[in-house]
Order: sequence, then structure tokens, then C-alpha cells
Amino acid sequence: MKLHRLYAVMRKETREIIRDHVTLSTAFLFPIVMLFMFGYAISLEVEDVSLGVLDQDQTPSSANLIDEFTESAYFKLVRNYESEVQIHKSMEVNEVKLVLVIPPGFNALAGRKENPEVQLLIDGTYSATALVALNYGMTIVSKFKEEQDNSLIDVQTRIWYNPSLRSLIYVVSGLYAVIIAAFPPLLTTLAIVREKESGSIQQIYASPLTVPEFLLGKLIPYGFISSLQLVSIVALGYYWFGVPFNGSLGYLAIAGGIYVFCNVGIGLLISTITNSQLLAVLLALVVTMMPSILFSGFVFPIYAMAEPVQAYTHLFPGRFFVDVSRGIILKGAGPAEMIRPLSFMLAYTLAVFFAAVVIFKKKVA
Amino acid sequence: MNKVTSIERAVESLQVDGTSPHEDGRKPIIEAHNLGRAFNEKMVLREVDLTIYEAEIFGLLGPDGAGKTTLMQLMAAILDPSEGHCTVMEHNTVKDDYWINSHIGYMFQGFTLYDKLSIAENMEFSADIRGLPKEVYLERQERLLKMAGLYRFLDRAAGNLSGGMRKKLSLCTNLMHEPRLLLLDELSLGVDPASRHELWAMLNTFRDDGVTVVMSTPYMDEAEHCDRIAFLHEGEIIGVDKVENLHTRCEGHVYELHTKDRGGAHNRLVEHPDVLSIRHLAESVHFQLHTANHIEAGLKAGLTENGGRIDPVQPTLDDAYTMLSGGEKSSAYAESPPKIHLPERLPEGGLIRTKDMRVEFGDFVANNNVTLEIKAGEVFGFLGANGAGKTTFIRSLCGLQKLTSGDAWIGGVSIIDDPKRLRNHIGYMSQRFSLYPDLTVAENLSFFAGVYGLEKGDKQKAMDWAVSVTDLSGVMNHLVADMSGALSQRLALACAIMHEPAVIFLDEPTSGVSPAARYKFWQLIQTLAESGTTIFVTTHYMEEANYCHRLGLMHQGRLIGIGPADELIAALPADVEAESIEDMFLAYIKIEDARLEEERQKVNIDKAGPST
Repeated sequence: MKLHRLYAVMRKETREIIRDHVTLSTAFLFPIVMLFMFGYAISLEVEDVSLGVLDQDQTPSSANLIDEFTESAYFKLVRNYESEVQIHKSMEVNEVKLVLVIPPGFNALAGRKENPEVQLLIDGTYSATALVALNYGMTIVSKFKEEQDNSLIDVQTRIWYNPSLRSLIYVVSGLYAVIIAAFPPLLTTLAIVREKESGSIQQIYASPLTVPEFLLGKLIPYGFISSLQLVSIVALGYYWFGVPFNGSLGYLAIAGGIYVFCNVGIGLLISTITNSQLLAVLLALVVTMMPSILFSGFVFPIYAMAEPVQAYTHLFPGRFFVDVSRGIILKGAGPAEMIRPLSFMLAYTLAVFFAAVVIFKKKVA
Repeated sequence: MNKVTSIERAVESLQVDGTSPHEDGRKPIIEAHNLGRAFNEKMVLREVDLTIYEAEIFGLLGPDGAGKTTLMQLMAAILDPSEGHCTVMEHNTVKDDYWINSHIGYMFQGFTLYDKLSIAENMEFSADIRGLPKEVYLERQERLLKMAGLYRFLDRAAGNLSGGMRKKLSLCTNLMHEPRLLLLDELSLGVDPASRHELWAMLNTFRDDGVTVVMSTPYMDEAEHCDRIAFLHEGEIIGVDKVENLHTRCEGHVYELHTKDRGGAHNRLVEHPDVLSIRHLAESVHFQLHTANHIEAGLKAGLTENGGRIDPVQPTLDDAYTMLSGGEKSSAYAESPPKIHLPERLPEGGLIRTKDMRVEFGDFVANNNVTLEIKAGEVFGFLGANGAGKTTFIRSLCGLQKLTSGDAWIGGVSIIDDPKRLRNHIGYMSQRFSLYPDLTVAENLSFFAGVYGLEKGDKQKAMDWAVSVTDLSGVMNHLVADMSGALSQRLALACAIMHEPAVIFLDEPTSGVSPAARYKFWQLIQTLAESGTTIFVTTHYMEEANYCHRLGLMHQGRLIGIGPADELIAALPADVEAESIEDMFLAYIKIEDARLEEERQKVNIDKAGPST
């Protein structure tokens, strides 16, 4: 490897990157757009669930219970029913998600310190939110009952790392891994396949450049702008989305750097086996972006997956970086916790680059 | 280990120097022995035995798909052979590929510069990867770019250069390390005639300095500039010789026939066993015989009976190629269109008239008040460099481009008033045939017949005719993707003529096909013209101009000359020599540029006038 030749490739790549608006916007604009879209669109919280009420009791007591529901931030009263028949229709057309049925005699029973019964009907088509909404509903009911009974039990809960339990923080801190798996490989792949399509790669073949010189010359500039991309989205997460930062910036820089080069390397590897930009883009999406959404644990927790799938997630470096970035950012994790995932990512990066060097031949066929 | 091999190499090279001197003492640079290469188990190149010597310009000539690029890549050591072996400057292309890569200049066809980088940066990259010291590279850069006329534009991005300038720059980037061997794949692709001239001047200089140049081209007129050429035909070399020898080989075999009865003469020639090829030019029919210096009496009598006249003519490289490849028998003279039932015919048939047609794109004038008239049944050739305004002109006539001012009529109907009405009377065949590769020939034809609104009986009649004249009946169920360039080209023509358009536009219709396929194509075009169809050909390929009755010369949006080729040549000032259509075209451009320059100076003087 001759450094002057490596520098020549790096200089050429850097010039091309700086002058190409498509590359620059893929590197900086699209990740920000994705951060905003995913950050705001993926909400695991349940708010303003549409609520229907069938109050067959019609007493101050039943009115109080209904108020407990509507005064919480979780439910929004949209419909009062007169009979049970109406409920089905209403739920079928998605008018309400949760229905509170208060039977006659509710007030009388509550007054006598007996167990009054209420019924909660929930639309279970989207099970995750249904469960959460149902939990909220049950909590309100039991709390109401406690107040009626003047019960003394008072449960206090405290939530760690994400005290306000905002799913936004959870999602955004995981999104860093997804975004770096989405764009840098795409950019790098295109950078080489574009040369294959235009034929300029043949000029490279018929030159003294060696394979590692050429590939490293591509890897380094793209790794560098992808690192800037990571910095820009982490900064945006901190300043705009209010993701707390409890860890060390230095650790994050090291982990982020390794992860970025790992992904750029995957892009390089893809480019060695494809000849058309279209195929390269498709492969990059299927090999990097889609798994990083599904198998990184950024929204879908890995521990909840079936065993074989859990094993499968190890194929994608995103899974490690989600742990590492959440660990550093939210929990303030240090080297002890990071050493395993980091050494894995490092090995992965080297393997990918080595494979690219072996596969890439200075031959047209 | 390195030492041993270098000593071995030195010994080897001594042996080569000592044992195989060239006839005039030059040493071989490239030696190929039984070289072959397969792609997907299909041999695209086989049994190539070839020696190329120091300080010669060697041409690889053949149609698209003949194996030119593959052979170039094998010699550049960026492709390994499936059979045989090849040495380049005494190095084996498989074992010593890195050495060869580092020591030659190789230029791939098309445009392979980095568009976002400036001229200087492209040069710098080329110098840096070869480790040239800064002083050396700056000195060479200046010398090369000055020779190419690019030194003034050092900071201009490569993407903003014209085709010709880009080729010259590509060539310069490949000369940075002063290679002793230059491999140039289709150098003149997308290059205007003037730049082509300059490129050749550069190549001649290098050759005189002892550099070996190997170039591939599908164009016979370009191959004429080479010292020696090899003809490639379907993956095999069918002949290697000096250009002048190839010409003399065919002398006495080629004749020119002037006759009023083209069709009759054609059919006589086709049936005669001694006839090798038939070429329908604008005003005459050229034919080539197997036998030298003798036309069989019966044939001669038949051809001359209606006042026909036969003269011997100078052969071209096309004739040599045809002779060596054994030719391809022409089919019978194409029938005239069946005159299918069309909703209407245009009042003035295929007559094209334009009056002060002007198209502007912002400040750029693509067509500068073009006025011309083309008769129905005329084959009209539109010559011009890239960017001269040819495409804009055609797009306007097809109703795809709004005129800034002026007007034009096809068959008496104004393209401004009624562009939709004209659509069904125009046929268009582009350079990149717009066929569907995943459909069969029959399916493509059926689709295009449907597009033009042909129905039932008419559709069948039109398809039958188009298939018979383009000789496609044997391949109706073949997928277009699997067909050769020549076949696709004929299918594209069939698709463009089924609806019997009054005017057919052809965009470089025969670039990259073999002479035989080209002759067949133009014979068909002449038939269509005889039946009243106007043929409008745009090209910057001078060979195609031979088939046109009249030529229009475009330069910077203006029509700078119009008329038959010989009249255009005759109209040039006495001190200008023009032997070929290309020379003539370049002369007209030169005169026009001088006139424009004079005008500019006059304007400047007028402006300066009042103040002094």
C-alpha cells in the first residue's frame, strides 16, 4: 500500500462528495428528515383514547367515575350510549376504542361498601395499545374504588432512566443506530457502483492502484462524513427532542466511530458484488436498513423475540449499537458494559472490509 | 523472489528481442496466441493470433458485438482469457497484470472522467495514483493540455465539457505517465468531426514518438487513418493487413451502376452468383464481385439494357471487410408499402417546409431561423456535431418542442396549428432503438401497430409487409433481448414504418452494424423513398451521408449549407481542398466560424465607434 495513492483516491472522493448535492443531502438532510418522521410518528404512548359510556345507573356516583376517566389525559369521551345495542355498531366503525358500562345499582352498592361491578369493553384489534388503554382504565377504576373505601394502601412507583416514561426518548435514542445503518451504506455502495456504471472503474482497473488503496480511499471519506452525520443527529436528539445525555461523549464517539465504519464497510461489500445502481440500492435497503429497523431492538424488544430470531439479530451490528448508544446516553454506561458489543462491532468491521478486499477484483469479469 | 523473476524477465526480453525481429526491425509490443474469451459459456472471442509492433497505429475494426472491447480488455489485463495467452510488452496478461495495468494507457469507450472534478483535478488524480512528482506532472499537464487545446479551461468541471473536449481530456489523463502503449476503445464515440481531427493529430504525434496505439472502432472511415488494421467478425479475426494493401486487394472488384431501374438492377444482381454485395447510394448502385476485373457478359448486358452505365470505382474498407467476411447475401428488392387503409393522407404527402424556425432555451439559441424545404420521397441527411441543434429541430418537427418563432409544415399541415394530426404520419427510429427487450419480435410489432391505431386486416397486412421487407420472418418468436444489433435495428425500422408514415426520422440508424447489414438497411430506405416517403436522417457519421440525396449542414443552430454532397463540395472556395464529405463539412464550419468572428469584431468596432 502506497500512501500517496491512497491520498489521491481520498482527495478525489472528498471533492466529489463536496460537489454532489445528492450525496450531501443523503448524508445530512435525509437522516434529519428520518429522525423527525420516525421520532414523531412512532409513539408507544396511549393518549386521548376515544371513550364511549353507557351509564345505566345515572347517579352522582356513576357521574364521578365517568369524570375520573375524562379528566385523565388518556381518555376522551366521544359518545354516550342509551342501550347496549349501540355499542357494537359504534366499535365496528371505530368511533370508540374503549367503552365503560356502568350497570344499574352501581351507586347503591358502592355506598354499601360492597363490590360494585363495572364493565370495560376494549377494541383488541391493535393489541399493544389495547392492553395499555385497558390498564389505564383499570387503574382509574381501582383508584376510584380505593377513594370510595378510603383505603390506606398507597403504592408509590419510580421509573428509572426515562422518568417521564416518554417513548420519544426511547425511540430517538434507538433511531441513531437505524439511521447510520440506512444512509452510509447506501452512499458508499453508490459511490463505487456509479463508477462501474459509467465505466470509469475500468480506468481504475487499468492503473497502478491496488484494491486496498482504492477501497480504503473510498471508505475513509465516506466514514468521515457519516461520522458527521451521526454527530448531527445526536445533537438534534439532545437539543430538539430533549434526549438526556448521562454518559461520556468520548465513549459515544468511540462506539459511534466503530459503528459508522462498520456500516460504510457493509456498503463497500455490497458494491463489490453488484454492477447496477438499482440493485445496489435494493440490496442496501434489504441488508442494512430493514434489519436495522426490525432486529436492532430499536422499537421491537429483542428479548421478546423467539429464540432463533434472537440469534439471528446478531448478524446485524445495529443491535449492538442500539444497546451501546442507549447504554451510554441514557444510563451513562462505561467501558465495562461496552467492551463486549464494541469488540464484536470491531471484528465485524474488519471482517467486512477484508471480505470486500478479497472479493473485489481489478477485472471487468 | 522478486529478483529472480526480474532477471528471468530480462533474459526473456533479450530472447524476444533477438529471436523475433519485425520485418523493418521494430519489436513486438503485443503478442496474442490463440486468445479466446467466453461469457456465460458463449465464446465472444476465439482463436485470436495477433502481433502488434512498436510505433504503429493499429485498428480493430468490426461491428458492435464483434468482440472489440473484449479483446481490448484482455490486452489491458483487466480481463483474463478463457483460452490462449497474451503478452504485452513482454509481460503475461494473467501473471503480470499489475505490471501491465501500471505501464499502459487504457481508455474505455464512453465518457469515463469524473464530472464533478475540474480538468486540472482529473489530471492531478491520474498523476497522483501513478506517483508522479509535482514538477513532472505540472510540466506534462501543461504540455498535454496545450496540445489538446484545453489549457485555457483548467478549472472547468469535466461534466461541462463537450463530447470532443472530454475525449481529449480522457486521452490526456491516460498520457500522464507517458505510456509506451495506448489502448483506446471506440475513441471517436460521441465526438464531433472537428474534434476527431484533432484527436487524430495527437495520435499521429505519439506514434511518431514511438508510442504504440491500438484503437477499436466500428467506423470504416476512421480505420482509414490507421497503419494496420484487423477486421473482427463474430469474435474472430478475419484479416490483418496494412490499410493500403486492403484497398488494393479489392481493386477491380467494385463498380458503380447508374440506372433508372434500381429495383430491376437489384434483383438481377442478387440472383447472380458472382455478386458479393450491393450498396444503394443516393444516386447510384455500387456492387462488388468475387471475380476481379471482369463482369460476366450476361450480367453486364442485363444491367445496361435500359441505358444503364457501369464504371469501376475505388474500393473502400467496407469492400475489404465484405470480401473477407464472405458477405451476406442480400434479399430480393423490397416491395413498396401495401397502401393500407388510413383514415387520411396528408394533402402534400411527405413535403417538409420550415420558415424561420427558431427555438431558444433561455439565452441559448438551439435553432436560429432555419428555413428549408424537403421534397416528398427525398432522402435528406442532416449533419452536425453534438449540440448543433439537430435534435431540437427534429423534436420541433415531431411536435414535441414549442417553437419560439417561425413555422413549419409537414405535408401541408402546420406543426403549430395541428401537431396531433401529424403524429400518425411520422415514424421515428432512434439510435437506441426503443423496443421492448422482454417481448418477442412479433409482440413488439403487434404492440406498435396497435399504438398507431392499425386494426384487424390492416394490422395484419402492415405487419406482413414490414416483416417481409425487413427480412424478419425467421425470428418472429425471438426475444428482442437476445438479438444482435443488426436485427434489432431492422425490427426498430419495421416498427417505425408499419403505419406508412409520410415522413420517417432516423437518428444514426446504422452506426455499429456490419457493412452487409448496413447495405440491406439502406436498400430498404431507398425503396421507401421511391414510394414517396420522405426520409430525414440525422447523423454525424459521414458514411451515412453517402446515401442521402441532399445534405443540410448544421452548426451552432444555423443551417450553414444545403444541397447534394458534390454541389456542396463544388461550392467551396477554390483554395479549399475537400476530398471527402468530412473534409467538406469541416471546411464549411471553418468558413462559418470565420464569418461569425468577423461579425463579432464588426459589432465591437461599431460599439467603439461613437466614443472615439
